[in-house]
This record gives sequence, structure tokens and C-alpha cells, in this order.
Amino acid sequence: MSNVDLLGRRNFIKGMGAAAGVAMAAPAMAVSEKADGVKWDKEVEVLIIGSGFAGLAAAIEATRKGAKDVHIFEKMAYFGGNSAINGGLFAAPGTPMQKKEGVEDSVDRMVADQLKSGRGIADEALLRHVASHAVEALQMTIDAGAEFHPYLQQLGGHSVARTYQTTVSCGAGITQPLYKECKKLGVHTHNRSKFEGFLVGDKGEVLGVKMRENYHFGEDQPGKVLKIRAKRGVIMATGGFAQNVDLRMAQDPTLTSEVGCTNAPGATGEGMYEMFRLGAIPVHLAHIQSGPWASPDEGGFGYVSNYSIYNFPHSMAINRLTGKRFMNEIADRKTRADAELACRDEQGNPLPPILITSYKDSKKHPNTKKVIKYNVGWKFDTIEELAKHFEVPLKPLKAQIEEYNGYVKSGEDKQFGKNMTKAKDKYIEAPFTVVRLWPKVHYCQGGVQVNTKAEVKDSFTGQPIKGLYAAGEVCGGIHGVSRLGSCSIPECMVMGMTAARSVMKA
Amino acid sequence: MKKVNIVLALVLAGLVSLSAQAVEQRAWHKEVIGKDCKVCHDNGIKQFPSDQACLQCHDVDDLAAQTARSEEDKWQNPHNNLHYGKDLPCQECHGEHKSKKPLCSNCHTFKFDKHKE
Repeated sequence: MSNVDLLGRRNFIKGMGAAAGVAMAAPAMAVSEKADGVKWDKEVEVLIIGSGFAGLAAAIEATRKGAKDVHIFEKMAYFGGNSAINGGLFAAPGTPMQKKEGVEDSVDRMVADQLKSGRGIADEALLRHVASHAVEALQMTIDAGAEFHPYLQQLGGHSVARTYQTTVSCGAGITQPLYKECKKLGVHTHNRSKFEGFLVGDKGEVLGVKMRENYHFGEDQPGKVLKIRAKRGVIMATGGFAQNVDLRMAQDPTLTSEVGCTNAPGATGEGMYEMFRLGAIPVHLAHIQSGPWASPDEGGFGYVSNYSIYNFPHSMAINRLTGKRFMNEIADRKTRADAELACRDEQGNPLPPILITSYKDSKKHPNTKKVIKYNVGWKFDTIEELAKHFEVPLKPLKAQIEEYNGYVKSGEDKQFGKNMTKAKDKYIEAPFTVVRLWPKVHYCQGGVQVNTKAEVKDSFTGQPIKGLYAAGEVCGGIHGVSRLGSCSIPECMVMGMTAARSVMKA
Repeated sequence: MKKVNIVLALVLAGLVSLSAQAVEQRAWHKEVIGKDCKVCHDNGIKQFPSDQACLQCHDVDDLAAQTARSEEDKWQNPHNNLHYGKDLPCQECHGEHKSKKPLCSNCHTFKFDKHKE
């Protein structure tokens, strides 16, 4: 038995920098075994582990391709995984909304943006595969009943506006319809089911899994372990490991509990590590992304994240020590997160910077009201009031606003080269709304290596491990150093569908 | 950390006394259930009750109606919420023998005044 440190997210809010590791009851070590002479408790046709975007898309697609007996196993008590609590942002090139808004875009252009943010180490073949099928995946969500805001957004690092967002501004606007679609199609869903290792054949092929029933996350787990045969294959859609402070610090020691986390509690990485034990190739594990739009005033993704994602293009981010801007507000995520983490007081303690937006512009986002109502953001009638509240030096702040408004007018940001297109005519004027910013660990770029068929490759043979497929955040190397916002949902959906197609052909 | 240890000790003490007799129970459940542990512990006394156990007496639709919020905040209804609809198992937010915070508090600051930790 080993202890797994899971980040106590509320602790982070209570005292930034305080040790927040809470020892939880440790799960029994997952170990794969030979399946020789094993007595199978159960047999299924397609076995999917994880119930986020990738798992749900895989289940739907497998059923549409003719599978009669598809099973999703979910460790947590509830379905949807991390996908149920993110921003619900979906990037795709060549969509109907882009045509309507006159946005010129293409698969090539989206891939080029992603390669740039990936800083030379992204997987172009996989990015191209995902971008080429993104519209198809978007259609799957719409067919299942997902609804999207009637406007496009341009997120940091994207050269054009290509991002849809669900009307509830949350991934649940997709997972809920997909989950209901799964139920409608007769997909079998099992919650509180903890993956405990693979059962492998003579040639190293995956034949099935060990699965603990009646598992209660973070508690002792008295449930029985079943040996389940997967006739066509196992699809691992188990997500990232952002919630596992030990594992993420093993890769990047700077990601201490001082940096919060936006992920669902279940994002602890056991599925991924078990695939490594089996021989899967680890890629880019140290590239772990923090969201620069998160707030230290609430836990997880909360309300502020979507508020800031929407408002960054026409807002000013200010270092409270200097009263001046310190970054391009729509640079890619890594650039911004690093800049925010550098905002500290004279003693070196975190001094979360603030995002200042004109209320007239911020109020167009549905979250603005809630951000103010639930005390995770504030409204000020004058700049003096604002400066006093956050102890920002007034004179430089006033000068900065004047300077920035000059850039709004000229369309050219001489400080940080921000693309001012979406800031046109949006001057920083009273009344203001303000939120505090501090990065939270958001996404693990690393994981197991897969090919464009979602097959998991073996580290020694270079060949796919027979019977094993993976999709979504558990896969690594696709995005390189930094993933662009809204590019994970299309990846999860497309690769989930791809895994299902491969399973059904195998 | 100290505080956590104390809480942990209390929980462990609670577990030990389980075998004895005095296990913590919600007052309103005492009247209805009494001391028949098996009413809830349908998976066996040493295991957590199943997700269906509470639903023998409670109806999700009724609960959702009781905790409904205004149109603007309608998705903050814990029994019919944005992320999991009506499918969130009771034990995620409610504990009979120990205190629990609502799951929402992981990410949100809104309050449920009637929720008993």
C-alpha cells in the first residue's frame, strides 16, 4: 500500500502556500497479470474505462459501428470525469458559424497554430487527424443535444476565432447529452468501478481487466475484484493526473500544492501508469499546463475561469506591485501562467495579479453576474476605489490605463504585441469589474503514445499493443509544450471515436 | 495538518465504536430507522450502502423540487445540477456517520444553508 497525496483544493484558498497535501486512503496497487487459466467473471464486447468526452464518444461510436455490448466503467460515483467540469470550449476549423461570421479557417491553419504553441515537439500527424475530424465530432455533440452560444470566441494562441462554447459554458453541456445518448443506445454504464490492472495473453496482448466493484474514492475499498474479458478490446479513456500532486511534482517540481488544480478529484493517473508498466511509451510527461485564467478566490475551475477566458481580449492584466501590465493577455497559456507566477510581493510571496475589465463589456458574459454575486470578483465605480481595494499604486495604474486605451484606439499594442482585434472600441472605462488571477494545474500534455488509430504503442517493439486503445488526456505528445485552449475537447471526442472505429475493425 | 489528524482520530474513534454500539446517526433517521443497520447497509454491514439505498425512502424528483433555486441559479440545485443532473449519488454530499461538505464546494463558493455537514 502506498499513500497518494491528493490536493486539498479548499486548503489552497484558505492559505496560499500552506502545505495542502491530504493523505487519502490509498488504493491497492494496480498490477497486470497473465490471463493463463484465469476464470473470467464476466465477458463484454467493448470495454471502456473512463466516462469523460473520450469514453462517451467511444461508446456512442462503437454502438453506431455495430457493437451490441458496450460497457463504460467509471471509478468515481458520478459520470463525466473531468469533462463534466471544464469550460465546454470546442475548437474546429471550417464550421458553419465561421462561414456565417466570415472567418477564413482551415485544418492547416489550426494545425499551424497548435504547432507554434507546441514549440516544436507536438505530433503533427495526430493534430492533423484531430483537426480533420473535429467538425464531425462537433456534429456528434449537436446530434446528442448539446447547445452552443451563437457566437465564436478567439482564445489565446489561436490566429482566428474558431471556438464554440456550450450555452451553459461548461463541458457538462456536452457530457450530459452524450451520457443520455449512451443510455438511449443501450450502453452499459458502471460507476464506482476501479480499474486494477490488465489481464494479458501469451503474446502480451490485452485480453481483459481486473475491476473493483463498489469502490468509494478516497475511502477503504471493500468491493470485490472482477476479472472481465473484453472480446474486442479495451479503450483507456482515463484522463490526466493533474490532481495527483506527487506524480505531477515528480515531473515538474514547481507544481507544488501552491498551484491549485482545476481538475475533477479523479484525475489521479493510475490508468496511465498501468499502461506504462505494460510497455506503453511515455511521452512529454513533464509538460503540464496551468490555466492562467483561474482565480485563487474559489476552488477548481469555478466561475472566474470562463469569465476571464471571455474577457481577456478586451481587458488589462495588472501587476499589483507596479500598477502596470505584465503580459499579453491573449498569449498562449504557458506564457501567461509563467508571467502570473512571477507576480510576487517583496518577500517573494504570491501576489495574484488582477484583471480589469469595463463592466459594459464584461457583463455580456453570463458568468459576470455570478462572479460578483458569489464574491469571487468585484465591481468598482472609480479607479481610486479599485486601486485602494487591491493596494495598487494609483498613479502608475492611471497612466497604464491611459496608455492601453491608446492601443485600443490605434489597434497596436506597443507593450506586448497583443492582437487588439477583439478589443476594438472597448476602452477600459469605469465602472470596472475585477477578478484576481493565479494559475491552476489544468492539463497534462504527457501520457501514453498512440498512433492515428488510437492504438497504444509498445516501447520495445514499436508495434501497437494488441487489444489496447487509448483516447483523450491519458494520451501524450499530441500538443507538445502547451495545449491551446479549446483543443482538448475535439481531441478527446475525435480520438474516442477513432478508438471505437479501430476496435470494431480489429 | 494537526486539525486534520484530530478529525481523522475522531473518525477512527467513530469506526471503532461501530462494533460496540454508539455509532453516530442523524436524529431524524433515528426515529424512522432505529438501530436496524441493514435498512441502509444493503451491501453488508462492513460496506458502504449502495447508491440506491437512500432511494428506498427518498425520491430524487421530490428532493430536486425542495431544493430548487431561482431561474438564474437553477443549475445550482444540488439534486438536479449542471454537471451531473439528478444522477449524483447521495453519499457524495451526505454522510450518516460522518460529516461531509457538498461536492459543489470543491469549486464554488455558493452556500446551501440547510445542508448539514
